[in-house]
Amino acid sequence: MEQRRNRITVITMAIFLLTVSLLCWFKGSDKYSEAERRYLKDLPELSWNTVMNGKFMSEFESYTQDQFPGRDALRGLKSGMALYVFAGMDNNDLYYRDGYIGKIEYPYKPEAIAHATKVFTSVADKYLKDTDCKVYYSIIPDKGYFLAEENGYLAMDYALLEEEFCAGMDGMTYIDLFDVMELDDFYQTDTHWRQEKLPEVAGVIANAMGKELNAEYECIALDEPFYGVYHGQLALPVAGETLYYLNNEELVGCYVYDYTNAQEIAIYDMDKANGADPYEIYLSGPLSLITIENPSADTDAELIVFRDSFGSSIVPLLVEEYEKITLVDIRYIYSGVLGNYIEFEDQDVLFLYSTLVLNNSETLK
Amino acid sequence: MLFSGIPFLYYFLPVVLLLYFIAPKCLKNTVLLIASLFFYAWGEPKIVLIMIASILAGYVSGLLIEAFRRKRTAKIVMIISVVLQLGCLVYFKYMDFFIGNFNKVFGTEIPLLKIALPVGISFYTFQILSYTVDIYRGEKVQKNPINLATYIAMFPQLIAGPIVRYKDIASELPVQGGLWWGKTRKDDNPGKEKSSIGRRFTTEDVASGIRRFVFGLAKKVLLANQLGELCDIFRMSQEKSVLFYWMYAVAFALHIYFDFSGYSDMAIGLGRIFGFHFVENFNYPFISGSVTEFWRRWHISLGSWFRDYVYIPLGGNRVPKWRWFMNIFIVWMLTGFWHGAAWNFIIWGLFFAVLLVFEKLCFLKVLEKHKILGHFYVILAVLISFVIFNASDMGGAFSDIGGMFGFAKVPFVTTETLYYLRSYAVILTLALIGSAPFIKNTVVKLASKPGFGKYLVVAEPLILLVLMLIMTAYLVDGSFNPFLYFRF
Repeated sequence: MEQRRNRITVITMAIFLLTVSLLCWFKGSDKYSEAERRYLKDLPELSWNTVMNGKFMSEFESYTQDQFPGRDALRGLKSGMALYVFAGMDNNDLYYRDGYIGKIEYPYKPEAIAHATKVFTSVADKYLKDTDCKVYYSIIPDKGYFLAEENGYLAMDYALLEEEFCAGMDGMTYIDLFDVMELDDFYQTDTHWRQEKLPEVAGVIANAMGKELNAEYECIALDEPFYGVYHGQLALPVAGETLYYLNNEELVGCYVYDYTNAQEIAIYDMDKANGADPYEIYLSGPLSLITIENPSADTDAELIVFRDSFGSSIVPLLVEEYEKITLVDIRYIYSGVLGNYIEFEDQDVLFLYSTLVLNNSETLK
Repeated sequence: MLFSGIPFLYYFLPVVLLLYFIAPKCLKNTVLLIASLFFYAWGEPKIVLIMIASILAGYVSGLLIEAFRRKRTAKIVMIISVVLQLGCLVYFKYMDFFIGNFNKVFGTEIPLLKIALPVGISFYTFQILSYTVDIYRGEKVQKNPINLATYIAMFPQLIAGPIVRYKDIASELPVQGGLWWGKTRKDDNPGKEKSSIGRRFTTEDVASGIRRFVFGLAKKVLLANQLGELCDIFRMSQEKSVLFYWMYAVAFALHIYFDFSGYSDMAIGLGRIFGFHFVENFNYPFISGSVTEFWRRWHISLGSWFRDYVYIPLGGNRVPKWRWFMNIFIVWMLTGFWHGAAWNFIIWGLFFAVLLVFEKLCFLKVLEKHKILGHFYVILAVLISFVIFNASDMGGAFSDIGGMFGFAKVPFVTTETLYYLRSYAVILTLALIGSAPFIKNTVVKLASKPGFGKYLVVAEPLILLVLMLIMTAYLVDGSFNPFLYFRF
């Protein structure tokens, strides 16, 4: 019996090793991972130099991981093992709770908040000091604010973040969103908030800036299910969601200009609906400088929004009260050169950033 | 190249196994040697030359010792060879330590050499030393350079042991036959000395090698790496607590155990697949009742190497008591120093020397009477020792030990500590269970029951396959995770 067991073990493992090995050797390279939303490593260049300096070997390791046959399924298996067999609280900082995938945002980083306030106040000092601009700022709590602590996950100290951020934004008016929002304002599988849930939040921001929002929208659903950025990262078989966008005649009539690519774009870029990240339908995703001009506005008021990706979906809801809105993402454009593009006079200015960016503010320039 | 990496498991190993088993007898060692040099060069293409030079020096020394056997010249050659090999080790591993300390003591500013440490140099140097000394002591010289190079450079044990001594493996270096689909060959002569049989391949050996390799890989990938993550989290934490310091101490001790014993299992398993029988390196050290016993169960090949090549030549315990204790201190200082060129490694070794002397003086008898006390004492001593071992320097070691005993001015527990305790509870529990022979004993007991064998026929390959799949998933998802003992 023992001999039989040994033979079966040897044969089984030999077949397994040979099969997987052949798959590894002869499977072609994939360029891009839809699930992880990133380019995969290709076979590194094989040359005398790359071998002798070890570059080929170190990159080959990453290549074999990225190009492993059935990578996404194996990542799902690992995720399941980590969360359900080894009962880890999170897998690569991601957790799945009450149908939502969350990411551990911990700890609170005071140096990041200090950097953010330094960047924002230097923008204010440079461009807004001797103008008639009215300056506001707000913090968008991330999903973890509603999900993490009450479910036993590590969460940053949001109260301290708010306190220290507000203390650093001297002379600007704070718009508190922490009490206006709730968990179901967010996608279950993504970092972002859902636009169809935002009219109330937009109303609070507008009211704080002395405006009132009355527009009505048609809520339109994308045909394909939306899998957010956390979905692919966690790699568990979580169902897709429906991504909606709010539209009306006024928004359709807006003229939107993208300075990065020097081209006209639409409020909702439907080409992105079937792309890697459908959230990018809102104002075409990450762009450094955009203007929205609203020809049907009853006012000549202008708004300048310093924003991150959360701003893409809420700013269209503020359009009705402004003739022109300028969106600036100083993660992609150096704030020191903004004077070349924007004339700061008497606009409303809003710094609107999520806790995710504020607590990791090294990208703010 | 790492055993726990996709390039090794699914690119290198299948090709080597295929070539090895289809190669004729006379070429098997050549295949193994070429594969081993490739394996080593994969990580350090230039430094492979240093290893080849060391092997050549060892080979020539062996021939000269044999040629001048029973003459004074043989001793001189042996001493020159030992000095050369140790000189190479000192140059690459310890030179900056000596220069740094010299600068500190004498206020000089001699620049550090900053030489990259060749991977596994401590291991292969000790193997070459053992070869040279064994030949001098009367072991038959290896005239075939391929065989000797295969012994020293054999990739399963090249970079993290076990330290296989020449005399333990000399008989297996020649090849006697191809793969035999049975337990033993019909033509085996039971009365024949093993040394005259040479290396052969049976499904029993290959299957047990596979088992050992897969379980070793599981120790590394599923336990050691996760425990290592916990240690990293502790290091980065801004909210340490007394409980977190203890969690770290436990996690690191288990991490290094599963990392190193997992590697040893893989090495022994691979060795068996290739027809070699390496010495055991670990035997559930955490169940020891004394530090003396702990060191009979932990890194056995290193302990026995120092015993046979340093401790006994110094006189062992057959000398006056003060010399005996001095011998213990010398051996343990060297053991610590072998692990790394830093003071914390030396202190770590001396820490054990103090405990061993204390045990030999009187404490061993107390421990034999009070077993529970013994286990408690060993665990405490080992936890503290590994905190010293893993510290960046002695200041860090004192800080960590102080933290464990409430001197770090941190709370007893924090939310973060509880989170990670909860998150790693299962891993820690599995590691604790796995560090004792409970599972092994249960399996052995079950396997001996009549009728259980037929279930094992199906269960074993299935378990191995599932484990391989899970570990592959972890490796695909994970990043670079080197073994701890590579740096030694």
